[in-house]
Amino acid sequence: MNSAPDTIGKFRLPFWQRIGESTPRRISTFLGYGVLFILYFPIVMLMILSFSGQPLTGIPGEWTITWYEDVILADIAKRDGEAYGSNFRVGDPLLLSVMLAFITGAACVIAVLIVGPVLPRIKWRGPFLLGFLMPLMIPGIVGGVGLFMWYRLVIHVKMGIWSLVVAHFVWAFPFALLAMLVVASRFDTRLMEAAEDLGARAWQRFWHIEIPILKPGIYAAGFFGFLLSFNELPFSIFMRSGQDTLPLYLWIQSGAHNTTVPLIYAMSTIVTIGSILLTFLAIKLAFGGGQHDAK
Amino acid sequence: MTQNSMDLPNESLERVSEVLSVRNATHQFGSLVAVDDVSISAKRGEFLTLLGESGSGKTTLLRLIAGLERPTKIAGIAIEGQDVSIVPASRRNCTTVFQHYALFPHMSVGQNIEYGLRVRGVSIAERKRRAQEALELVRLPDKYDRRVHQLSGGERQRISLARALVTQPAILLLDEPLGALDEKLRVDMQVELLDLHKKLGITFIYVTHSQEEALTMSDRIILMRKGTIVQEGPPTELFDRPVNRFVADFMGVENLLVGTLDRVSGDYASVNVGDFKITGLWSGSGSKTSGTEVCVAVRAERIRLSNTMDVANKGGINCLPCQSGQTIYKGKYVDRTLDTKIGPIKARIWDRDADIPDLASLWWREDECAITLLGSVE
Repeated sequence: MNSAPDTIGKFRLPFWQRIGESTPRRISTFLGYGVLFILYFPIVMLMILSFSGQPLTGIPGEWTITWYEDVILADIAKRDGEAYGSNFRVGDPLLLSVMLAFITGAACVIAVLIVGPVLPRIKWRGPFLLGFLMPLMIPGIVGGVGLFMWYRLVIHVKMGIWSLVVAHFVWAFPFALLAMLVVASRFDTRLMEAAEDLGARAWQRFWHIEIPILKPGIYAAGFFGFLLSFNELPFSIFMRSGQDTLPLYLWIQSGAHNTTVPLIYAMSTIVTIGSILLTFLAIKLAFGGGQHDAK
Repeated sequence: MTQNSMDLPNESLERVSEVLSVRNATHQFGSLVAVDDVSISAKRGEFLTLLGESGSGKTTLLRLIAGLERPTKIAGIAIEGQDVSIVPASRRNCTTVFQHYALFPHMSVGQNIEYGLRVRGVSIAERKRRAQEALELVRLPDKYDRRVHQLSGGERQRISLARALVTQPAILLLDEPLGALDEKLRVDMQVELLDLHKKLGITFIYVTHSQEEALTMSDRIILMRKGTIVQEGPPTELFDRPVNRFVADFMGVENLLVGTLDRVSGDYASVNVGDFKITGLWSGSGSKTSGTEVCVAVRAERIRLSNTMDVANKGGINCLPCQSGQTIYKGKYVDRTLDTKIGPIKARIWDRDADIPDLASLWWREDECAITLLGSVE
């Protein structure tokens, strides 16, 4: 009968701990590494192949940086008006994508600063929140087609960079808002009263109290806006006009020319490493101050 | 740098002894009237307490004074003789100590305290000097560089006090500042607040629901109920001369007997309770016609016991025959419930030797009991 309390105690544990305790260690280890493998192997493979002489064989070897040279040199050649071996010209799409990402990131920051602090405190926040977050649940293709129909066929305006900005904002805003709400819903509005009571004007309360406390949410919103825009494909397909974004360009190239595939590997590697560096930077900016504060 | 645009030149400050005046303030939250046509005033250096249960409107009244709430209707509100009806909270010469501290979590203790000076454009060196002074005032001189989350509840409350005092406001508003502290700390802080008040000479307006806190600290108490003032006066007046049964009950009077008023003569009134006639100090106002229902309020510690009925013949006392009832041991004292023909009466015996086992009667002095109005019974 001694085991009875233990059995009861075990059932009080959350289910994942129960599963964890009853699963043989070897199986959990295998599953864990398996998931990591599925997640990262293709990307790591792609990076390795981007330094290989014969990347299309799928077998690494004959180490070279020639694909990277091609990516860069082709664009320099284009700028100088010269011919170059491949017609892979990534400069303009990259520039456009970076610009779009900055605009979307900035727009997300401004929008969540307006909506974020207010939303947790209004009466009909449920329906509002649902309305703001619905784009998350609409597939990108559907959203893209919808926006396309609306602008081209209903209100008859020409696509341009502006339409890409609108589409990217529509896509990124819900994520940015969610990131902001995590911080904003914990914001104690009584601090604003305390600041007012101590003599702070509206702008001082905004800059001294609201902005610093909401800082992690602001960074996260800008970061989401940037990365989601930078990687966006489905909306861009419909909203572009003439110019291609980087993902769109890579997608078109990978479908069209076998000869440019190694260049796509190289470009993807550059973009991936750039994204990772940016992520670390964003996390450091958002939370680095906090850790310093806690010392 | 002018510290505050509403500051008057020093010489005229001296002349204004009335530092706060609120005239006919009404505040509604939707259909709920939180403050109902209330007027109060405070003198320079006074310790004024707004006392009442939750929902009595005391905190709302404090927020009206601070400017954190705009009154629905008001005839006028003046701080140091200047009308501030349309002046925002940030420009009123008063600061608040909040029950929930409201310290800024992203700032150090020093930055928190300096905040009021920072928004007024005081130089960094001056700010630091005055913050250090304020820290010494609340006896936490070495906490300048600490983070807020490293402080205990009591320390946070003191920092919040220092932050409110550092701008040297004309009025310090305290919204149940000790509410979140434990018993022992609360008693220590009461003494400390009193010391600070004496030292600084600033007007304190203190909101609390604890009659004990109000009695300990105040120069004057305003007892509020349902948005209106029930009674206002020095602690002894509320304690000994409650204007109605609500006040007596709120101030902790244990024995409240209902009877019919016989007559009022001078300071005294006599009341028929059952077959007995009880005399006490007349504390009610207004209606004094014989036959109206009134309330006799006697504190348990005023009740004495006797083993004879002889005391009834002495003048100036009320005496009732009684039987012993339940006894509850409370450590410092003993609470005895005594059964009389007009119902149970509580007596508090502090002195063990004064406790009488074979008792026959209980008595109390006429000038130690109050006869007061019933007030609205709800």
